[in-house]
Amino acid sequence: MLLTEHEGKRLLREAGIKVPPGTLVRSPEALARRKLAYPVAVKAQVAAGGRGKAGGVVRAATSVEARSAARRILGTRFGGKKPSAVLIEPWLAIQREVYLSVTVDAAADGYVMLYSPHGGVDIESGEPPLRYDIGPAHRFRSYRLRERLVTVERDPALREKVIALGRRLVELASSRDCVTIEINPLVLLADGSMVAADAKVVRDEYAAFRAADIQAAVEATRRGEPRPIARALAGDLMLVWLDGDVGLISGGAGMTMATMDLIGDAGGKPACFLDCSANPTPGGYRIAFDLLDHEPKIKVILVSIFGGLTQMDRVARVMREIMQERKSGKPVVFRLNGTNASRVEELFAGSGLHNHTALEDAVAEAVAIARKGART
Amino acid sequence: MSVLIDQGSRFIIQGVTGNVGRFSARDMREYGTTVVGGISAAKPAKDIERIPVFPDVRAACAATRVDASVIYVPAATALDHVVEAVEAGIKLVVYPGDGLPVRDAIEMRAAARANGATLIGPNTPGLISPGKAKAGFMPSFCYTPGALGVISRSGSLSYEACFRLTSAGLGQTTVIGIGGDPIKGVSAAEALELLHADAETRAIVYLGEIGGGDEYDVANYAVRRDAKPVAALIVGRQAPSGKKMGHAAALIGSHADTHSAKMKALTKAGVHAVGTMSEFVSAVTAAFNDLSASRLKSA
Repeated sequence: MLLTEHEGKRLLREAGIKVPPGTLVRSPEALARRKLAYPVAVKAQVAAGGRGKAGGVVRAATSVEARSAARRILGTRFGGKKPSAVLIEPWLAIQREVYLSVTVDAAADGYVMLYSPHGGVDIESGEPPLRYDIGPAHRFRSYRLRERLVTVERDPALREKVIALGRRLVELASSRDCVTIEINPLVLLADGSMVAADAKVVRDEYAAFRAADIQAAVEATRRGEPRPIARALAGDLMLVWLDGDVGLISGGAGMTMATMDLIGDAGGKPACFLDCSANPTPGGYRIAFDLLDHEPKIKVILVSIFGGLTQMDRVARVMREIMQERKSGKPVVFRLNGTNASRVEELFAGSGLHNHTALEDAVAEAVAIARKGART
Repeated sequence: MSVLIDQGSRFIIQGVTGNVGRFSARDMREYGTTVVGGISAAKPAKDIERIPVFPDVRAACAATRVDASVIYVPAATALDHVVEAVEAGIKLVVYPGDGLPVRDAIEMRAAARANGATLIGPNTPGLISPGKAKAGFMPSFCYTPGALGVISRSGSLSYEACFRLTSAGLGQTTVIGIGGDPIKGVSAAEALELLHADAETRAIVYLGEIGGGDEYDVANYAVRRDAKPVAALIVGRQAPSGKKMGHAAALIGSHADTHSAKMKALTKAGVHAVGTMSEFVSAVTAAFNDLSASRLKSA
C-alpha cells in the first residue's frame, strides 16, 4: 500500500532520517491560521505517482499565494484521487538533487538499491539508475555499494552520506515491512546537509498481522471505499471493479483473469475481478452475490471456480442454498470443476441449477444473457 | 524421470493437525505418495490419518528417512517452519500458503539456499509428478503421466490448463507451481533449468500472467540453442493497469508488465504463446510439432 508523502516522511523521521519540517493542513482556511516563513512549497498529499508533473507541488511566496495553491490542489485529482491534505514545507535552498531508493526485486533475491546522481521528476526518462543487488537486508555491505557508487558519483562526501543513508533505508524497509522506499529527490542543501525532500513508501499489506500501523492503514483504506466494496474487502474477497456487465465470481487469481479474458473473447465485458478463494465459505459467497446482485450495471453472474483446496461439493451445496434464499432475479451461470466436482451434478439435481462442463460454454451463455439484457 | 519428486520420495507434513494439513495428508496418501510423518508442536498426538506425529522436524528425521516436507501453517509462523525444515537437512520444502510478508519470503529463499535445499512457494498448490507423487493439494484427476514439464504462477489456472492437457492426452512429467508472489523459492528461470535437465521432459509449458518479470526469463530460455520447445498461456489481457489482480505480483506498473509486451517478447523468442485458454491446447500441440520438425532437420 502506497503511503502519502507525509506518512512516508513520518516513517523516515522515526528512523532518524532527516526530512524538512512540515505542516499538514486540510483546508485553505486552516492554512491561513498558520504562521509560516515564506517562501514555502505547497504539496498535494495523495497516494498516487506523478504528482510533481501534474502540478501537485507549488512554490508560494506569500500566504495569499499559498492559500490559492492549496485551494487549487485540494480541488484537483491526481491519478484519479483527491488529495486528503496539503503539506507545507520551507522552500529548500537546493544545491543538488539525487535519487535513492530501496525496493524488492526477484532478480536481486530480495532488496535492491537504486541510485542516480540526477534526481527529480525526469528520473524515468534519463539514464537507468545504478543498481546494487542486496538480497536479504543483513547482506548490505557499504563497501559493495561504494565500489558501485564511485562509477557514477564523483563527490566523495556525498557518496559517504548516501552510503550511510542507504544502510538505514534497507534496515527500515526490512524492519518496518516496506516493499519500496523511494527518495526523489534526495537533496544536498547549501549548508552541506542532506534531506529527504520527498518520500514514496509502499508498505506490505501482508505484514498487517505484525504491524499495528499497517493494520490501521488497511482498515482506513477500506473505510474510504464505498460500502459494498468495503464489505467485500472485509470478507477477504479480492475485488477490482471493471466497466463491463458480466459479473464474475471466481476462485484463484489466474483463473479469474483467464475467465475475464474468455468473456472478452466471446464479445462480452467483465464487470469485475472477484476472487473468493481466500474465503470460500457460505459467508464469503453471500457477500459476493450481495455485491453483484445490488450492482445495477451487472446483467448476469457467472460463477466459475476450479477448486483445489476448495472442495466443490461444499461449494455446490452453498450455491444451492444461496440460489434458494436470494431475492434478486439476475440470471446465474455455473461452471464448477475441481476437487470433488464429480458430486456437483447430483447436488444440483432437482434444484433447477445447471453446471456447465466446459468453461467456454458457460462464458458463451453468460455473454449471450448480458447482450440480451443490454438490448431490452 | 521427473523433477524434484517421484515414487520414492518420503514426505512429512508440518502442521498436519490443522484442517488443511489433515485434508492434504489424506489426499496425498490416496494418490500413492509416501507420507512418513506429521509435525505438530501444539497438539501432541500419536498419529493422525494413520500417520505418526512428531513434536518437531528433527524428531521425525531421527526416526525415519525424510526427503521432503509440505508445510501448512499460517503466514505468521511460516518462516520459522521453513527454516526448521531446511536446517534439519530436508532438501525439498513446499510452502503453499499465501499472504506471506515479502521480507519473510526473502528470508525463506535465503535459508533454503544456505542449506542447499529447494523451496517451492509461497502461494502455490505445490507440485506433482503425475502417477508418482504429489506434494500439495491440486486436484489429482487433472493430471496424467507424459512428456510435458509445466510451470505455473497460478494454482487455479494450472488445474484448468492441465485438465485440458490431460483430456487431450497430453501428459506431464512434473507440474511445478512456482506461485504468484514476487519473491519465490523456485523462480521461473530455476524451474526451467530443472525441466531442461530432465531427460523425460520433451517440451515445456509455461502458465503466466501480467506483472513481474518471469515471462522474460521464459523468453530468454527459449532463444537458447539447446532449448526444448516451449508453449505459453499468458492471462490478464482484460486487466486494467495499476490494480493488483489478486496475486501480489500481478500488477501492471510498467509497459514490460503488460500482456501485449509479454506476448510480443515470448513470440519473438519462438515460444508458442497464446493469450486465451481456448487456444492453449493447440499451442502445446504446436510445440510438440517443433520436436518432430527438429528431428527431421537433424536426420
